[in-house]
Amino acid sequence: MDFNLPAEDDPRRQEIRQWFEQHPNPTYKQIAERGLSAANWPAPWGMGADPELQYIIDEEFVRAGVATPHSINAIAVNQCGQSLLTHGTEEQRQRFIPPALACEEIWCMLFSEPSGGSDIAAVRTTARREGDHYIINGQKIWTSAADYAAIGVLVARTDSSVSKHRGLSQFIIDMNSPGVTVNPIYDMTGEKPEYNEVFLDNVKVPADRLLGSEGQGWQLVMQQLQTERAGMTKPGAVWGYGPTARELMHGLIETGKIKDPLIRDEAAKLYIEGELLRLLVYRGMSNRINGKPAGIEGNIGKMVAAPHGQQLSDLAKRTQGVAGLVVNDDVLPLPDKNYGLFSNWDYSFWFGPASTLGVGTQEILKNSVAEHILGLPRDVDPTSKLPFADINKTKSSAAA
Amino acid sequence: MDFSLSEDHEALRDSAANFLNKEVDHSALLAPKAKVDQAGYDKLWPQIVELGWPAIVVPESYGGLGMSYIDLIMIIGEMGRTLAAAPLFGTLAGSWMIEAAGSEAQKSEFLGAVAAGELKLALAVADDDGGLDNAVSSATASRNGDGYVLSGSKNYVVDAASSDKIVVAADSDNGRQFFVIDSGAAGVSIETLDWRDITREVCSLKLDNVPAELLEKSNAECWSWVRDRLYLVLATESRAGIKFVLSDTVEYAKQRVAFGRPIGSFQAIKHQLADIAGLGELTEAAVQYAAWALSEGDEKATIAVTMAQSYASDSYNAAVHRYIQVFGAIGFTWEMKNHLYFKRARANSELLGSPVEQREQVVQILERKAA
Repeated sequence: MDFNLPAEDDPRRQEIRQWFEQHPNPTYKQIAERGLSAANWPAPWGMGADPELQYIIDEEFVRAGVATPHSINAIAVNQCGQSLLTHGTEEQRQRFIPPALACEEIWCMLFSEPSGGSDIAAVRTTARREGDHYIINGQKIWTSAADYAAIGVLVARTDSSVSKHRGLSQFIIDMNSPGVTVNPIYDMTGEKPEYNEVFLDNVKVPADRLLGSEGQGWQLVMQQLQTERAGMTKPGAVWGYGPTARELMHGLIETGKIKDPLIRDEAAKLYIEGELLRLLVYRGMSNRINGKPAGIEGNIGKMVAAPHGQQLSDLAKRTQGVAGLVVNDDVLPLPDKNYGLFSNWDYSFWFGPASTLGVGTQEILKNSVAEHILGLPRDVDPTSKLPFADINKTKSSAAA
Repeated sequence: MDFSLSEDHEALRDSAANFLNKEVDHSALLAPKAKVDQAGYDKLWPQIVELGWPAIVVPESYGGLGMSYIDLIMIIGEMGRTLAAAPLFGTLAGSWMIEAAGSEAQKSEFLGAVAAGELKLALAVADDDGGLDNAVSSATASRNGDGYVLSGSKNYVVDAASSDKIVVAADSDNGRQFFVIDSGAAGVSIETLDWRDITREVCSLKLDNVPAELLEKSNAECWSWVRDRLYLVLATESRAGIKFVLSDTVEYAKQRVAFGRPIGSFQAIKHQLADIAGLGELTEAAVQYAAWALSEGDEKATIAVTMAQSYASDSYNAAVHRYIQVFGAIGFTWEMKNHLYFKRARANSELLGSPVEQREQVVQILERKAA
């Protein structure tokens, strides 16, 4: 057992640091060509980096003050790009991966639908084969980056005669195609909209943009979400990102607010939980380095991390008292760090309610932990075995 | 970097598990109004000695096995999982204090005897009121010729009645120091408390001019050095307890049928158990990291064990609460083992100070670092 993290003088770190020193303002094309965009992917796309090297690389990005490709083009680098490596065609890889890793084409993920919510297999968007194209019709929602993405990874139903999980397929679509309409959703923060709704009206997609085979869509969704959740075990305020309990403690000590006995104990609890979440991340990393199954960190980690983050921002917000209700992001001093989107406590707080909704609600995650990890009996879904077409029939006849 | 257990660790844990699964029998404790004297302290100890467990963390130079704290938690975890009743906690506590405060000669003598299985110890730090760091102790040491005599009282001493010798914290002219007394000496009176956790022997101590040997290197830091290690022991027990309690509850929830379904298929039950699984995972990470940090002498060892003890205590209490609630009223009866775990969880979160006190220690460490 060895809990040491890669040291400052680790030769692998030196090599990466040197590269950043030689390339002070690298373009993402250069970063991609060096293999650093998705270092954990196999060559030629990445460096086949083990999680430890990946950890070093992430740290060196921060040190160099360069935003990581996986924060800029998250859907391509984190969630969906690897599906092209495992299930895509060579033509798809050559066409889509280089511009994705160079952050020249931003991707978005067209999964959630207005009628589905947590029941993400209940996709109603359809893809109908016509000659050498598919014709897509339907509506997606809660799509990050859809307003500027060039590429969408879409889940649509190719077969309604089988059960809901079996009739799904994935497509790589051009977001500039005729028939794609993107509208921003103004969320409760009042800040720049993070999410969009996307209408797909007779969108023509070439048949060779099918990812994997027809009917394989659900399997791909599960892999992609698992990757996403594992990434959310981190101890930041929102989905693992943003300031952590370390920064909270720093701010409370610096302002003297830590002297309040109630804040003191609550902050200590959160600090401890944050440190343990870090250990969970490292353990997942260590397991992958050592060829052990990634195990359960993904779902359990997100299940603990999401409310943890909410409580961090909540405590930070409460230190402002009534002044915190005025739009004003001066909550607690933060050390000079770039946290990306969730770069202050105020936004993290007002955004907070979303973190136990997105990427699986807290309840869905608990079901998943209880069923898949603890082995408790599966919940009954009366629609899971029915042909999808019949589910809708039942609903409409009931409504009539 | 490798957070996982080695095969040697797993083998050690599995052999401890096999032994304890076979030997620990709580049936006598599940008779109403059972007391700790029915827990089997006497029966288990000789076998534990034979397995060499008292020698695990005794340095090799004193005749021990000199193994790491990671090795130790393999054993302690199984003791905690099965609520095995034996004076291992007291012997470890006393040994560590002798290691911290004893001279070379004292370490050779006492630790050698512990390693050989010939000496059971207890450590008396808490005063009458349970305070571990009181400015004035309820026990005092005074000079008597070349040696000392102790008078006064100590409380909440784990494994005192089973011990051969007790290490006592008492105030002398030189401040707080640590002394070794014979448990059977004239002037020592040990009363086993009517302690709720009947799998552990906890006693009060009255001392009336008891001849005592000063541990010659006693100083103010000795207790915090020992306390770090005892935090690890209790946190490890708690971690293992959570794991057991969770799996026992899951099994019950799968089998118990109500309204035509196993109760484990209801989300109200599932979500509670998922929460406990989360607490369990984090506790395990905390305990393993703490054991590693102590073994390495890492500078973060103190904060790591303190965090582990605080988090493990709260998590264990949350888990045992659910353990009884999910079982329903049957889980509230004396004949079920649920209450044994419920009481151990309570005891573990008070014996070395409360989780709130440990969190205070954590904040103080961070404040010092920030200053």
